[in-house]
Amino acid sequence: MSAPTAPAPADERRAVDAVRALDGPAVLPPARPARATVLFVVLGVLLLVLVVLSAGVGQLDIPPAQVVGSVLHHVGLDVGPAPENVNGDAVLWAIRFPRVTMAVLVGAALATGGALMQGVFGNPLAEPGVIGVSAGAAVAACATIVFGLSTLGPWTTATAAFVGGLVTTLLVYVLARSNGRTEVVTLVLTGIAVNAVCGAAIAFFTFLADQQAREQIVFWQLGSLNGTRWPYVGIVAPFVVVGIAVAVVLAPRLDLLSLGERAARHVGVDVERLRLVAIVAIALLTAAAVAFCGIIAFVGLVVPHLVRMVVGPGHRVLVPASALGGAVLLLAADLAARTAVAYADLPIGMLTALVGGPFFFWLLRRTRRTAGGWA
Amino acid sequence: MTDTSRILALDLYGSTSRIVYDLGLGDRVVGRDVSSAFDGIKDKPLVTQNGHDLNAEAILELAPTVIITDTSLGPWDVVLQMRDAGIPVVVVDSERNLDNVGTLVHEVADALGVPAQGDALAQRTAKEIKTKKAEIAQVVPKDVADRPRIVFLYVRGQAGIYYLFGQGSGADSLIDSIGGVDVATKIGWKGMKPVNDEGLVKAAPDVILMMTDGLESVGGVDGLLEKLPAVAQTPAGKHRRIVDMDDTEILSFGPETANVLDALTRAVYAPGDTK
Repeated sequence: MSAPTAPAPADERRAVDAVRALDGPAVLPPARPARATVLFVVLGVLLLVLVVLSAGVGQLDIPPAQVVGSVLHHVGLDVGPAPENVNGDAVLWAIRFPRVTMAVLVGAALATGGALMQGVFGNPLAEPGVIGVSAGAAVAACATIVFGLSTLGPWTTATAAFVGGLVTTLLVYVLARSNGRTEVVTLVLTGIAVNAVCGAAIAFFTFLADQQAREQIVFWQLGSLNGTRWPYVGIVAPFVVVGIAVAVVLAPRLDLLSLGERAARHVGVDVERLRLVAIVAIALLTAAAVAFCGIIAFVGLVVPHLVRMVVGPGHRVLVPASALGGAVLLLAADLAARTAVAYADLPIGMLTALVGGPFFFWLLRRTRRTAGGWA
Repeated sequence: MTDTSRILALDLYGSTSRIVYDLGLGDRVVGRDVSSAFDGIKDKPLVTQNGHDLNAEAILELAPTVIITDTSLGPWDVVLQMRDAGIPVVVVDSERNLDNVGTLVHEVADALGVPAQGDALAQRTAKEIKTKKAEIAQVVPKDVADRPRIVFLYVRGQAGIYYLFGQGSGADSLIDSIGGVDVATKIGWKGMKPVNDEGLVKAAPDVILMMTDGLESVGGVDGLLEKLPAVAQTPAGKHRRIVDMDDTEILSFGPETANVLDALTRAVYAPGDTK
């Protein structure tokens, strides 16, 4: 046997518990399919309500009935009242709907990315913003914008963000692993370092471009959905759809991975390939979220944990529920960002951090208690 | 593009709105940017937020039928959103200097379908500027070594950040036309960039031009000398030769340019006669 080690990490202990459980009468927790259904229904309804509400509220208020009417008219059905204000339709279709769609896509992408990350790293604190993946993607996106690169036309920024996010995720993955485990402290510290370096790089690029553009730095660091247009939505949508589809497909195998690496291998999961595919998916989702909206942190942390508190850790439910939950959360945050202060557009990352930061503290304390110290 | 019943003229310097008013179409203007504050427009709704950022919803709320802007106000996405919404947007030149006033007037007048008035305004402005330049030439010292070294400083509040306006910012043209030595261009300063203390002391200006609100935000000349000790080290600071002018006028280079030149020249060469 090797030299005595620190207390066994959580996943190994879980594997031991699982094996012990199979010896005697089954002591697995009862399945809760009803809860999952209720959660999906509630989230779905909330999403629809928020979409209609968010599209109607703003400087130019449009009642919900007219919002729905406008959509129906555009689809071809002459049902419902059209917006009364002469520019109501323009506001809805040129400003609000692109923004609402982007919020839904980015929120879903961030939350799913967070759920995937927590599964792959086996760590409850993993999240694209905290670990620095968003920052890596943002540096690449910022570079293409500042240096005016457009080799792939309108897809350049998003693709560069994907490459940046991929490189950063792989870097963090390699640095944070030792003896087949990902250590909490190393992960968080790597995140701090990556965030610091990438933040400085973004500030430097922005300074190179236009020494007056301090607002650009704020945009990248805290994110904003202001100025979203349909072409941007068109680029982000395929990234997000593919990313979430991959995540849903990987979900059952992530459940097996949570038993521990050895246990998963014994059951037939190709762990390395699973991790790599998940990392690519995470990079795809993060790139979509960051390329046009800047770094919006903590959505990927808060949403999967809230979902777990309701329906437990099973990934088959967690991944789609996180996508829905993320969309709802970001839509609500964007509504607040647009309307909290008259005439101003608050950076949305500021709001998510105000909520996510304290949540992160609470999570930290809880992880510390249950994992028996800094594992 | 045919309908010019509801006009929005937006730019960083306030020049386009001034031109629209001087073309006689002021009653059709429905809103303003933060750099336009002259009588007649200052009560109209503001469509910029956080300083100079365009607010898309505020613009749409005013239901304009034509928007005239240049590339100086952002975010550019908002301008594109206006086009998406079906409002014609005319983009004019964003350069501001003494030679450009005529071109700008013509561009705005053509966009609004009043080329004849545009010609008249451009000619009148050119003539005023020419006359004023001749007057100024009488006052300015013939020997270049005797001319005052002038810089344009942009100061805001207490963060200790101040910008020097150099080549291409409009300040260079302004300083040249009142007969000063444009120090910023001499040291190769392009555009509007933050300057550090040593750079300012090395530039050693005799006169500092500023915007009124900026000067107020640091607490007047006394406040300026206290908060920015680098200014106190310059000849301008030592002799307290700080000239300030209203933010919305000093760099606007619109039809009122001749008056701006007049006021500045008096302030620089004959300060006893001015406030």
